[in-house]
Amino acid sequence: MTLTRLLILRSIKERPLRMLLSSFGIILGVASILAIGVTNQAALESVTRLFADTSGKSSLIITSADSDGQGFNDNIMGRADRVAGIGVMAPSLSVTTVLAEELPPTEIAFSMFGMDQGGLSLMGIDPQVDGQVREYELVNGRFLSERLDDEEIVLVETFAIEQNLTLNDWVEITTPYGIDKLRLVGLIAEEGAGRQNNGAFGVVPLETLQKYFDRNRSLDQIDVVIDKPDASSADVQQLKNALQQALGTDYAVLFPASQGERVVQMLGNYQIGLNFLSGMALFVGAFLIYNAFSMTVVERTREFGMLRTVGMTRRQVTRQVMLEASVLGLIGSAIGIGLGIFLARGLSVVMEVVLGQDLSRIELPIDLVIISGLVGLIVTLFAAAIPAWQAGKISPLEALRIRGISKEGWFISDGWKVGIALLLVSTALLLWNPFPYDAQFRLGSVAVIALFFGGTFMIPSSVTYWERGMRGIMRRLYGNSGLIGSLNLERSKMRTTLTVAALMIGVSMMIVVWTMTESFKGDLEEWLDGYIGGDIYVTSSVNMRTDLWQRLQSVEGVQAVAPVRYFEVKWYTPDGAEEDGLFMAVEPLAYNEVTSFVFDQTDNGVSEEAALLEMEGGDTIFVSSVMAEKYGLSPGDSLELFTKTGKRPFVIGAVVVDFYNNGLVIDGSWADMRRHFRLNDANAYMVKVNEGISIDTVKADIDDLFGDRYHLIVESNLAIQERVNVLMDQAYSMFDILALIAMLVAFLGITNTLTMNVMERIREIGMLRSIGMSRGQVILMVLAEAGLMGVIGGVVGVIFGILLSRIFLLSMTAMSGYKLEFILPISRVVMGFLIAVIIAHIAAVFPANRAAKVDIMEAIHQD
Amino acid sequence: MSVLTAESLTRQYQLGGHVVNALAGVDFSVSEGEFVGIMGPSGSGKSTLLHLLGGLDKPSDGEITLAGNKLSLLNDKETTLVRRHNVGFVFQFYNLLPTLSAEENILLPILIDGKDGKQYQKRLDTVLKLVGLESRRSHKPDQLSGGEQQRVSIARAMITEPAIVLADEPTGNLDSKTGKIIMELLRRSCDELGQTIIVVTHDPRAAAYADRVVFLQDGVVASQIAFSELDDLAVRRQTVIDAMVELEA
Ligand SMILES: Nc1ncnc2c1ncn2[C@@H]1O[C@H](COP(=O)(O)OP(=O)(O)OP(=O)(O)O)[C@@H](O)[C@H]1O
Ligand SMILES: [Mg+2]
Repeated sequence: MTLTRLLILRSIKERPLRMLLSSFGIILGVASILAIGVTNQAALESVTRLFADTSGKSSLIITSADSDGQGFNDNIMGRADRVAGIGVMAPSLSVTTVLAEELPPTEIAFSMFGMDQGGLSLMGIDPQVDGQVREYELVNGRFLSERLDDEEIVLVETFAIEQNLTLNDWVEITTPYGIDKLRLVGLIAEEGAGRQNNGAFGVVPLETLQKYFDRNRSLDQIDVVIDKPDASSADVQQLKNALQQALGTDYAVLFPASQGERVVQMLGNYQIGLNFLSGMALFVGAFLIYNAFSMTVVERTREFGMLRTVGMTRRQVTRQVMLEASVLGLIGSAIGIGLGIFLARGLSVVMEVVLGQDLSRIELPIDLVIISGLVGLIVTLFAAAIPAWQAGKISPLEALRIRGISKEGWFISDGWKVGIALLLVSTALLLWNPFPYDAQFRLGSVAVIALFFGGTFMIPSSVTYWERGMRGIMRRLYGNSGLIGSLNLERSKMRTTLTVAALMIGVSMMIVVWTMTESFKGDLEEWLDGYIGGDIYVTSSVNMRTDLWQRLQSVEGVQAVAPVRYFEVKWYTPDGAEEDGLFMAVEPLAYNEVTSFVFDQTDNGVSEEAALLEMEGGDTIFVSSVMAEKYGLSPGDSLELFTKTGKRPFVIGAVVVDFYNNGLVIDGSWADMRRHFRLNDANAYMVKVNEGISIDTVKADIDDLFGDRYHLIVESNLAIQERVNVLMDQAYSMFDILALIAMLVAFLGITNTLTMNVMERIREIGMLRSIGMSRGQVILMVLAEAGLMGVIGGVVGVIFGILLSRIFLLSMTAMSGYKLEFILPISRVVMGFLIAVIIAHIAAVFPANRAAKVDIMEAIHQD
Repeated sequence: MSVLTAESLTRQYQLGGHVVNALAGVDFSVSEGEFVGIMGPSGSGKSTLLHLLGGLDKPSDGEITLAGNKLSLLNDKETTLVRRHNVGFVFQFYNLLPTLSAEENILLPILIDGKDGKQYQKRLDTVLKLVGLESRRSHKPDQLSGGEQQRVSIARAMITEPAIVLADEPTGNLDSKTGKIIMELLRRSCDELGQTIIVVTHDPRAAAYADRVVFLQDGVVASQIAFSELDDLAVRRQTVIDAMVELEA
């Protein structure tokens, strides 16, 4: 222990800067894993909890099989009741409305799940039984009375405060037939069921709500609690089957959690990106640790050799290095955890924007803390294992050499063979992508790491060629001392290699992030243009009746108006499996006048206009490219949808680009919607303004004329698109941050290497100074060495970045069905290269200064 | 009784295509308490011999017996342990750990052996007194002069009471006055502590402190001289110079 204390703790204490540099990799790696893990978990929990809250303690829920928003008749309560094993049945009806006095929000809130138009979500319940399926935490007043037709309401406290409502006030709500009043009898906390709609939620006796919204005897959902306190999942499954049997195919009996599944899946896509980048951060971190330890070993070759001469065994030397690594690993992980917690706060803000969900109740899961700490420690030990083993191999004679002239290892002379093999195998694996779906991500990451390793193995043998090729340029840029610097690059190839590799990884990550963002944004913008087409977008907290269509058309300056209605639909894959999708109903011709579909492919010879006319003709739908890709659909095929009258075939008229609802969208005509789905109201109207007329004037007119009466939110498309872009940028800024971390790591790597080189060559620099090299020339010499590293790292990094982003886009298409166009931003590629070179130079400033300050006398008398 | 014997030692180096015979058959032995000097022109194989004797390197052929151990029969770990317990090295460049104090540097072989340094306080005091650094024990190497650093490394070589101390040009990096102090120190440790010592040197003045001087040339022992107890240093030095001149002729 004394030896450990002397050799390790002392060396850590005496070289704090070096130790900090070494542990930086661990710190960053651990911090990013933890932060990303915590945020992910918080987001997942928040979303699943939200869905769990809506159905609290229920075992099963019954809904209508067609989600047309019309609900179902309450007489099925009787039918369901005959099924054995039911404990409680809680019927409910949900409506969205607005307070009569409530001003509609001036802008639409966007989130990953679509748009949030605000408004108040009301649920009609049977107060007698509802408490057994959902949790209400009463904070003031009383809960609803047991009478189902009392005209009273219980609101979430935060919402009531926001709207200046106090107990016993009359709450005025907007209904299809005007304004109705309810007495506010109680307030509940924004917990459990109260978390719905971000707290803009209230409960009303069932019959009262049915009456006000003209939905007599109609229900949207029945929550069922099984009649067995400790029911197994098999019991629930059995009850589910029995219920489904009794109710028939017009009704869907679901597990409550399944409602949230789609959301979880959506979140999953975003997670893939995050996980990948945290893996990369860790990898780069491991690299830095390895780098730092290799350097330590090289730097301390004499020391280890001396320890061997005085009788230390190989194993003792290796153990010392490993012990040092574990001390660093522990310290680094501890700091990393601290930083990670801090980072998680920042990340959760981004996720809140993306998800539109409040994540303020973020918790620190102890298992994640332990895991990330352990990962940090293990990665450190792994990364240090090779250098430690190398340290053990140092011969005692090494200590007797004036300067440690390390032999050219196998890595430097023959590494390129392994490099080529790794490169070929990993590229082939990534392109061919033979992995099963669920292992894809993990194995894919391994292949990416193999690719980077391959690239790294290639560096040492290529350094000579790079140096020769660039020598002339270096000489011209930095003068003769630049030439010496350039030649220096070949002296410690191992060090050069590791540094260049760190830079390479940083640059390629940057390029990947940029290309992906650019490609994604490119497609997204094109689609957004269509999705929120026209000039003005009119929407409301409540669905709008179609009479508004004519009224909007009559507003002065309006050229055309296109209504849009979204609803959920069930459809059947070619092999008969049932799938959920979103139906977007439009008036094809009006839609085409205001905006247009982004056609991905139309049938051979059939023009886009023809496709639209076909849709207008009825029984024709367009499907999204994601669906087409995923299920192998093409124009001319037939697709079955579940309509009011059962399964019904539709012809696919075209494939269009659409990212809404995770890309699972079916477009159809307004007429078909009315005919087959019995719906006739709009979610939004897109308005096109006559040429030469001010959009703002028309917007203001619409707002004045109909805003209050229809509770409209009227926004210009430009404003919306700007906001969506800002939102997107925010979401992507996270990736930028991770790329930035990678570059920071590379920066530290370069500083580390050059500092070490300078320290090692102090005598030599003193000699050069003594024969007349100026301080400026010394600086140029170091800068030239750094610059060359920057060039190599930049070029290789850019190549790898392009290669990887191509592969990612391809595999993303394969995995999710999103078909993204590969956009290679040339300016970004140039920028990536320049950043590498510039970073290398900045990183060289400190070591170059150090070199310039070398005292000639001291350098010559050193040792 | 001989502490160290070498029989027909050879050591070849492969250099590019051709072979360098650094040692071409050396027979050599050292008795307990003896102080032996090794001299010879540059490249004659002095350092090579010393490295082989101390088990830092393996001979191409021949056998070394060190404190009863036949080195050719030992693996790397066993050699390391023999070195740890029986050999002390002193080099031209002192090879001290910059992060440790003089005292800690001296105790290093003890600590490496897994022992507690406190139990060696007496031995530590003895060697510190021998090298005259009692007042400098807690200084770091960069706070010490070259001669003082060399004295620390001599103390380190002797802390384990090794069977033999091997010194390769211990004065090569020092001025003549400091060199003299170092050689006197080695002489004293031989006389007072009975320490067996081999010193490689170029300097006849340094060689004069030995009991016996072995001359190497082209990898073989060319001649030997043994001093009479009665000769003073100046006489011994002259004897060495004469032997060198004779060899060159
Ligand atoms: N690692 C090596 N590789 C090749 N040849 C070597 C090596 N070490 C020593 N030699 C050669 O072996 C011969 C003896 O070297 P050695 O270092 O023993 O000489 P020396 O007598 O100590 O010389 P000096 O007085 O200059 O220190 C020399 O010719 C030298 O070039
Ligand atoms: Mg020598």
